[in-house]
Formats: sequence, C-alpha cells, structure tokens
Amino acid sequence: MIEKLLYVTLAAVGIYYLVDLAVLSRVKKRAVYRAKLLNLLMLLSVLAGFAFAIKEMTLYLFLQIVLLNIVEMCVLVLATTGIVLIFKTSVTTNFAQGTVATVGAFAAAKLIIYLTANTAMPMSTKLILALVFSAVVTFLIGLFIDTVIFRNSRYSNPVGKQMITMGIVLVLFGLMPVLFGLLPLTIEAFSYFPYEIQLPNFPYPLILPAQNLIALLITVGMLVFLFAALRFTKWGLGVRATASNETVAGMMGVNTKLITALSWGIAGAFGGVAAFLFAPVGSSVTVSFMTPVQVNAFLASILGGFSSFGGPLVGAVLINLFSSIASFLNSVWTNVIVYVLVLLLVLVKPLGLFGKKTAKKV
Amino acid sequence: MAKMIDGLLQGFRLHRLNRLRDQKSFLENYLPILVKAIRDREERRIKLARDRDGAALRGPALAAGVLTPALETERSTALANIEERYRWRAKALAQSKKRALSKSSEDMVVATFAVRTEQLEHQKQVDLESVGRRYAASQGDLAAAREAFRIQAEEVHAATDARLAAAKAKADKIIAAKTAAYETKTDELGRKIEKVRNLLIANKSDETNALIPEDSLLSVRNLSMRFGGLMAVDNLSFDVKKGEIFGLIGPNGAGKTTIFNCITRFYRPTSGEMLYRKNAVEVIRLNDYPVHDIIRQGIVRTFQNVELVWELTILDNLLVAAHTVYRTGFFGQLFHTPKLRREEEVMRAKAFGVLGTLGLLPYAYAIPYGLPYGILKKIELARTLMAHPKLIILDEPAAGLNDKETEELAVLIKKIRDDYHATIFLVEHDMGLVMDVCDTICAISFGKKLAIGTPAEIQSDKLVRSAYLGEES
Amino acid sequence: MTTLRLSFDRIRKQLAIIAKHPYFGFVVFGAILVVLRLLALGGIIPNSLMKSLVITMIYAIVALGFSLLLGYAGLASLGTAGFVGLGTYFIGHFSGTLGYPFLATILISLLGAIVLGAIVGFISLRIEGMYLAIITLGLSEIMREIFKSFTAFTNGVNGLGFRDFTLFELEVSEAAVDFIVIFVFILLIIGTLNIIKSPTGRALLAMKNSDSAAQSMGIGLMKYRLLAFTLATIYAVIGGLLYMMDQQFSIPTTWSLDFSLNILAAVVVGGAQSITGIILGTFTIFGLNMTVLKEIAFFREYPDATWIVSGMLIILITMFYPGGLIRLLLAIKFWLIKIWKKLKRKWSVYRYGEDD
Repeated sequence: MIEKLLYVTLAAVGIYYLVDLAVLSRVKKRAVYRAKLLNLLMLLSVLAGFAFAIKEMTLYLFLQIVLLNIVEMCVLVLATTGIVLIFKTSVTTNFAQGTVATVGAFAAAKLIIYLTANTAMPMSTKLILALVFSAVVTFLIGLFIDTVIFRNSRYSNPVGKQMITMGIVLVLFGLMPVLFGLLPLTIEAFSYFPYEIQLPNFPYPLILPAQNLIALLITVGMLVFLFAALRFTKWGLGVRATASNETVAGMMGVNTKLITALSWGIAGAFGGVAAFLFAPVGSSVTVSFMTPVQVNAFLASILGGFSSFGGPLVGAVLINLFSSIASFLNSVWTNVIVYVLVLLLVLVKPLGLFGKKTAKKV
Repeated sequence: MAKMIDGLLQGFRLHRLNRLRDQKSFLENYLPILVKAIRDREERRIKLARDRDGAALRGPALAAGVLTPALETERSTALANIEERYRWRAKALAQSKKRALSKSSEDMVVATFAVRTEQLEHQKQVDLESVGRRYAASQGDLAAAREAFRIQAEEVHAATDARLAAAKAKADKIIAAKTAAYETKTDELGRKIEKVRNLLIANKSDETNALIPEDSLLSVRNLSMRFGGLMAVDNLSFDVKKGEIFGLIGPNGAGKTTIFNCITRFYRPTSGEMLYRKNAVEVIRLNDYPVHDIIRQGIVRTFQNVELVWELTILDNLLVAAHTVYRTGFFGQLFHTPKLRREEEVMRAKAFGVLGTLGLLPYAYAIPYGLPYGILKKIELARTLMAHPKLIILDEPAAGLNDKETEELAVLIKKIRDDYHATIFLVEHDMGLVMDVCDTICAISFGKKLAIGTPAEIQSDKLVRSAYLGEES
Repeated sequence: MTTLRLSFDRIRKQLAIIAKHPYFGFVVFGAILVVLRLLALGGIIPNSLMKSLVITMIYAIVALGFSLLLGYAGLASLGTAGFVGLGTYFIGHFSGTLGYPFLATILISLLGAIVLGAIVGFISLRIEGMYLAIITLGLSEIMREIFKSFTAFTNGVNGLGFRDFTLFELEVSEAAVDFIVIFVFILLIIGTLNIIKSPTGRALLAMKNSDSAAQSMGIGLMKYRLLAFTLATIYAVIGGLLYMMDQQFSIPTTWSLDFSLNILAAVVVGGAQSITGIILGTFTIFGLNMTVLKEIAFFREYPDATWIVSGMLIILITMFYPGGLIRLLLAIKFWLIKIWKKLKRKWSVYRYGEDD
C-alpha cells in the first residue's frame, strides 16, 4: 500500500515537472539547466509510477525487462547517432539510414555463409569478421552517397537532399533481392549464454544474456570513440564547425567536403553495426527488417531535439524504456502507446527535450 | 449591463458599416468594368458584321468591277505578296549562282543564270498581270452591273446599319439600366452608411475616444521590450498624427524594427500599449489583436528584406495583398462562382491602377525572380496599397537603393500620402530621405527616446548629434 | 461558298477560345480515358492495362491532395498512407461489414477526414519543417498499428474484403467503378485547379514563401494550415474509398511508409506545383511499373526491382531538375524550338545568302 502511494507521488512529481518545464525554461538560464537535468528523472518517474501503480509491476520485473531489451536499445542508439551525425553536417534527415544498414547486414550474412562453406574458422571469428565487413560495406555506401550523389547534385537544399535519400531507399529496396537473393538470411548471436545476477532482496536472480552484454560493450565503445573524436580530433572540430554553419566553416578553411563525406561514412558504419546486432533479435535479415528501427530512430531524434548530439541518444534510450514499460502494460498496443507519448511530449516541447529555441527575425 | 449591450451594438454597427462600405466600393468599382465589357462586346459585334458584309459583297463587287476599299486592300496585299515572293526567289537565284560559280566555268554559269533570271522576271510579270485581271472589270454591261451592285451594297449596308443601331440601342439601354440600378443601389447603400455612421457617432463613447488626441492616429505608450537581459525598447512613448509622414531614426540596433514588430504584433511587448484610431468613432488597443488581424484595422507594413511570393506574377502578388478584401468564401472559390470572378476583375482593375501609379505596369505579368532590387522594393510598396491602408509602415524603404532611386522613392512616398490619404510611418538610415520627406521625426538610441520634432529641430538637437556623431556635449 | 468559309472560321475561332480554357485539356483527358475504358469493354485493349490505369488514377487523386500540401502550403507530411488506409477501412467497414447506405459512408468518411486533418493541422502550428514530417510519419505508424490491432473495425492483419458494392440499391459492376473513378478524378482536378487559381491558392503560396509576410497580409496561419491539411486528408480519404471500390481488398501492410514515400516521389518527380506534372509523375512512378516494366523478363524474375527505376528517377530528377518532369519537358520543348529556329536560319542562309 505504502509502496503504491510512493509511486503515485512519483507520478505526480513528474507531471508537475512536465507542466513546470515550459514555464521554467523561458525565465532563467539556470532554471533551464536544472529543468534539463530533471527532464529524464521526470519522464521516468511518470512512466514508472504509472506502470507500477496500475499493473503492480515490481522493480524486479522492470529491471529484467530493461536487461532483456538492451540489444534493441543499443541498436536504436546506434541508428539515432548516425541520423544525428548526418543531420548535423548535411542538414537533412537521412531516410536511407535503415536501408543502408540492411545492405550491411545482408553482406555480413552472405560473408558468414561463404566462410562456413570455404573455411573452418570458429563461429566467433566469423562473426567478428562479418561485423567488420558489415561496417566497412555501409561505410563505403555512405561515402558513395555523399561524394557521388550529393556533391554532384546541381541544386542542393535540405528538402531536395531528403528526397534523394528517399530515392536511395527505393533503389536499395529494388537492388537487394537482385544482389542477395529473395530468401531471408540469418546472422547468429555471438553467444546464447545467460548470466544470472542475484541482487539482495530480490526473489529470483536477474537474467542478462551474454549477447546483450557484448552488444552493450560494442555500442558504448563506439559511442566513446565517436564522442572522443568529436571532442578531441580535428575532424570533430570540423564537424562542429560545419554543423554551426557550413558556408562559414568552408571559408575558414575547414574541408567541409571531406568532413561531410566522412560523416556519411561513419553514420553508415554505425547503421551497419546496428543492423548486425539487430539481426539475431529480429530473427532474420529481410529487406525491410530495419524499418521499425528507422522510424523509432527518427522519433528519438525529434524527442531529444536535433540541436545537440547527446539529446537524441537520451531520446533513443527513453523510447526504448517507454516501449519496455508499455509492452508490460499492453502487448498489443505497445507501439501506439509509445508513439502517442512521444507525440504528446513533442507537442509540449516542439524542439525536443533538449532543443534550443532560435529567435525568428522578421 | 446597459454598457455591455451598448458596446455590442456599437460593434455590430461597425461590422455592418464595414460590410456596407465594402459592398458600395465593389459596386462603384465593378460598374466601369461591366460597361467596358458591354462596349467591347458591341465593338466585336460591329467588326464581325462589317466583315460578314464585306464577304457577302465581295463576289458581286468583283463581277461588277468595282474596287471597294476592301477589295483595294486585298489587291494591294496580293501584289505585295507577289513582289515579296519574287524578291526571295531572286535572292535564292543569286545564291545558287554564287554556289555554281565556285564549281563550274564562268561563262556557262553566267549564260544559264541570265536565262533563269529572265524566266523569273517573266513569271513575275505573268503573276502580276493575273492579279490585275482578277480585280479588273469583266466584260458586259458594266454600267448596269455597277448600278445593280450599288443598289445591292446600299441595301446590305442599310440592313447591317439598322441591325447594329438596334444592337447599340439595346446595349445603351442595358448600360443605362445597369448604371441606374447600380446608382440606386449605391445611393441606397450610401444612405444606409450615413445612417449607421450617424448612429455610431451619436452613440460613441467618449471614454475610449478620449484615450488619444483627436488628431493622432497611433499612440505608443510606455512601450518596453526585453529580450532576455537586453532592453531593446525602453519605456518609449510617441504619437503619430493623422496624415503625416513620421520618421523613426536611430543608430544600428537602436530597436527601430523591434518597435515595428511590436506594433504589427509579431512581438509581444513586455509592457506598454499601442492605441490606434481605427475610425472616427473607435480607438482600439492593438495589443488585443493577433498578427493577421492587424491589416484589417488598416495597418499595412513592408519588410526590410523583400518578402514576395516568388512563384507568382507581380499582379498576383498584389492580389495576395488584397486577401482581406475578398468576400467570397471557400466554397465560392472551389466552384469559381460568378461572384468570385466579378471580385477578381475588380481587384485586378485596382491592382492595375496601383501599378500604374507606381510606374510598374510593364512588370505586371513578370515573375519577381531576377528583377532589380529597386523594382522589388517598389512592388512591396505597391502591395501595401491594395487593402485600404490607413497607416503604412515602411521598414527601411531605401535600403539597397541608389541615389536616383531614393529620390524617386521620396516623391513616391509623398504621392502615396496625398493620393491614398494614408499616414506613413517609416524607419530609415538614409538621412537625406528622412529629412526630405518626414513631417515629424523621432530619434531613438538603445531603445530610449532622444528627441522628437520637425527635421530642423532634430538636426539641431544636441543629444541626437552626440548619438550620431559622437560629439561631446 | 464564302458564308460557309466564314462560318467555319467562326467555329474555329470559338474552338480556339474554348481550347484556351484551363479546364479544356483535363476534360479532353477525361474523355480519352472514358474512350479507353469503352475500348477495354469491347476487348480492343487488354483489361489489365485498364486496371493499372484506374489504380494509377486513384494514386493521382491522393497525389493531387498531397501537392496542395507540399507544393502550395509548403508543409511536408509523411502521413498520406495512414489517411488513404483509413478511407479504405471506412468504406469497407461501414458499407461492407455494417451495410450502411453509400451516402452515409461518404458523410462519415468526410467528417473523419476533416477531424483528422484539423488535428494534424493543429500539430503543424506547433511543429514545423522536418520535425513535422517525422511526426506525421509517427501518426501514420500509429494508424497502421490501429489497422493491425483493431480487428473489429479492420479485420486485422488478414485484411478486409469488400464485395457486392451497391449504390442506390443498384449492383455496381467493375466497369461502372472505373467510370466513377474517372469522373471523380476529373472533378477533383478541376476543383484543385479552381483552388490554386483563387485567393486561397495564392494565400497558401504566400504562406509557403514567408510566414511573417503572409500574416502581415491578413492570412491567418491557423486557418490556412488547417485548410491545407484538411484538403489533403479529404483527397487521401476519397482515394481510399475509390481504392476499396476498385481493389475490393485492403490490408495493413499496404499502408506503410513505402506508400507515402511513393506518393511523395510522384509529386516531386512530376513537379509539385503543376497538375499536369503531378499526373505525369504518378503515371511515371506507378504506371510505368504496372504497364511497361512488368513485360521485361528481368523485372518479372525480381518484381521488387522495379523500385530501382523509380528510385533512380527520383534521385536524378532531384539532382538535376528540381522542378520535376514538367520542367524537364518544358526545357526540352524550348530546346527543340531553339534548334528548329537555328536550323531554319541555317537553311535560309544556304538558300538565300546572308541578310543584307
């Protein structure tokens, strides 16, 4: 009883912040930062509070669901990172992110089949090779898109670029059955071993599949690598300058062509790794198996706001948590609940949770 | 309670007054268009009838050997055509001679071409003669035939004339009837307008009216606008009088455009209010109106950087600006009802009038893309004149113009004030223009008022001089 | 003799005046379609070709509504598929499953379209640009989930059939549906033409160019954004109704992102601001697949490979002719005229020598 009361209070606090946020963020700068920090807490508490209160979901179940959904979370985070990186450098939403990634997964699956037929490597080596192959293929496709298509386009505006990425989606959709055959392929998981974690006060141990741990490690490693590169390398500085204003950056001597090309490549590689990790979860590699990830990644980007690098990642984590909780509440309407929630949040904060408003000049 | 009902009644009357005025101006503007359409149709009919007569009389005239004016032109055209044709043939011949000369021996060619030239000449003569024959009199009793033709022609012409006269009389009657009907309607509307106006004035509440002086159109009271920590406009007050040209000057970043944006409601001022005399009986608080309703109160603005619809012609751009004047609803537009078509004609005539005033007629059907900047600025100015403006707000009208264009602009601004009975409120950097056209100038710096007065007063003001020239006072 | 010539002349002049009327081309187009349909009835042209023509027309209706949104109001939306799907389920459920009279179904559908359009319009007041495109994509996904899961209304993933369609208690044959589609298509073209040539169309364009300038000219953003979205939704729902009448089957997988992207592609490839362009674009993207490419052996082996053609078209057109195919055609026309003039001049110089 007391526990339930606690959760309801948590929910109320969350709602208070939700209402407060819009007001606070307009008044003082310090308040904005405080509100930003509390954003995450608020959202979680609203959801967790409601979920706990309505369905008697225990902390154990919640943690278990989160642990089991780690792969999906990692995939979403990687895909979102790619989209944001491209948005930052080319000011366009890349609709082809998921499809390019699918090509990577297909290539990896084909490589595994080839290696199994021709060599006697252990499975893990084959998988690592395939992962690298997937990333390389998607990196090259990304490079190709920017250098061959975008740089040669006679008129380039954001909407035009968006349209071109849609065209790429269609071309790849048509090309994949021709290149990789009409049958769905599979990629095996690195490991099927489940770790058991016994925490005090919990009735049963929490189960963490080793595959999830590996996926988490790969994702965190790539993110650390990316953020370090953004922060400390010349390329990162270039990306940040290009994101701020491409023309000015170009005039200041930043090689924006190289920067955007590399960004497209890296975004592609992130997608390739994401697709590789998603394949064992999504059971088989088909032409459109990344589409739900793509849609969710877009929603995550606008939930976090395109204006910062970190925001969309938080958005991706949040969306994953939302769907974990929603799937517990109602497994049929999970996606609807998540989408409606994101929609409402974006209506409250049109530029995303971490978006910055730029004044309109008349 | 009584006061509230009174207010409601006044509002209703105002609405009715506006509607009546719109109807009246529509009738007044549509009548000339209608008359012109009827007259055009009549003219077309006359031309058609004459053509038909000519065609009917052609055969008999040829037979009788009479060269009617129509036949005369026909003949001369035919002759000219032959001349032209043979000129080209001669040129072609000369050219082929030149080509032939480069290939074969000279004598041979010269001889051949002499013959061919002669042949050509001969053919031309034959053709000319045949034309001459066609239009010359034929054999037989010419005098009788001519007499018969004369009588026939007279008959035909008389018949046509009679028909045309009848048609003209009918058209005149229609025009007279339409004019009379429109005039009665207009008179009736005029009477109604007078009545409503009198009622309005009789019931006008002195409370709101006394808010600003009788002769001022716009009064800005204690306006402040804060962006974060920056005070863009700081407790500013000034009055714009009816019918004057009011200039707002100040160094860069003084908050001039911010004031405009507050008046046209793009910004919500931190504090202060803008009062505006909408008409003889009503003073309104602009703070209470949304952005897109400002133009309905008679306040029209231009923008610093030209904001035209790039896909539309200049004429259509002007029609966009007349958006609030249209009365046809969405379904009327969906089905293109005659009402909409009539309205469009009236608007188009008005737009042509405005374009004529500003000397933009040659550009009416051009796309603004690629036109010179001076023209684009003028188009923006023209746009403000489409929606019954009372107060025209110009944001740096001379920015980007050369000296000659600026001089033209000064003349134009004065002309607009006089022709359209509008008050003009402008922000400008070009001191020459401001001192030239403005009746009153308000100088501001960092959102604070420095001085207000006539151009001469401003020029001699110490504060202004120090703000502009950095002089120590 | 002369009077005959004259009257012939008059008829020619009258015809010239009629031909200049903006509706003329489209009415002729409709007449040609009717004739084609009659020929198909007589078995002169294959029925399958007619089938693809009709479905392409339905897509063109949806594209027309979308062009009002994208080409005129400048609002990007990826929610088209959801709205078209909704139209199919409206008629399938109310007229098919429940057996309501057809007029009642139309009323319900229009009401639904207006409400939905108004909701998206309100959203568009707060969220703009690419954010709006993604949010509408989310909305479309929500609707697809509803199509999948709300089995009482949509019969879920198995798809909803719709047979024995009656209109005013008359059995409507397949051929009659085709005529209805042609009629509605031409009617909607004329309606669109009227809208874009009226103050509303100009207001939408003004809004696309600059929000603030439009507002200062008395164009309320709320009214016109709502109007644009409502119109687009109504067109989409009408497209859905016709789709169900024609195909007699609707399944949630049809109404995915691909469909919206294809409509977008049709509008962009054709030319977003010209009705002729949109018809051209739809026939290129959808019609080409269904009529021409189907006959090639490679595409018969890999049916999905037809996407490559549409994708390449989109990419090439956006890269080199952002105005769409209609601009390309105009450019080709001007180019041909130029070449013709040049040839004429050359011939004249050859024949008559240089001008004096």
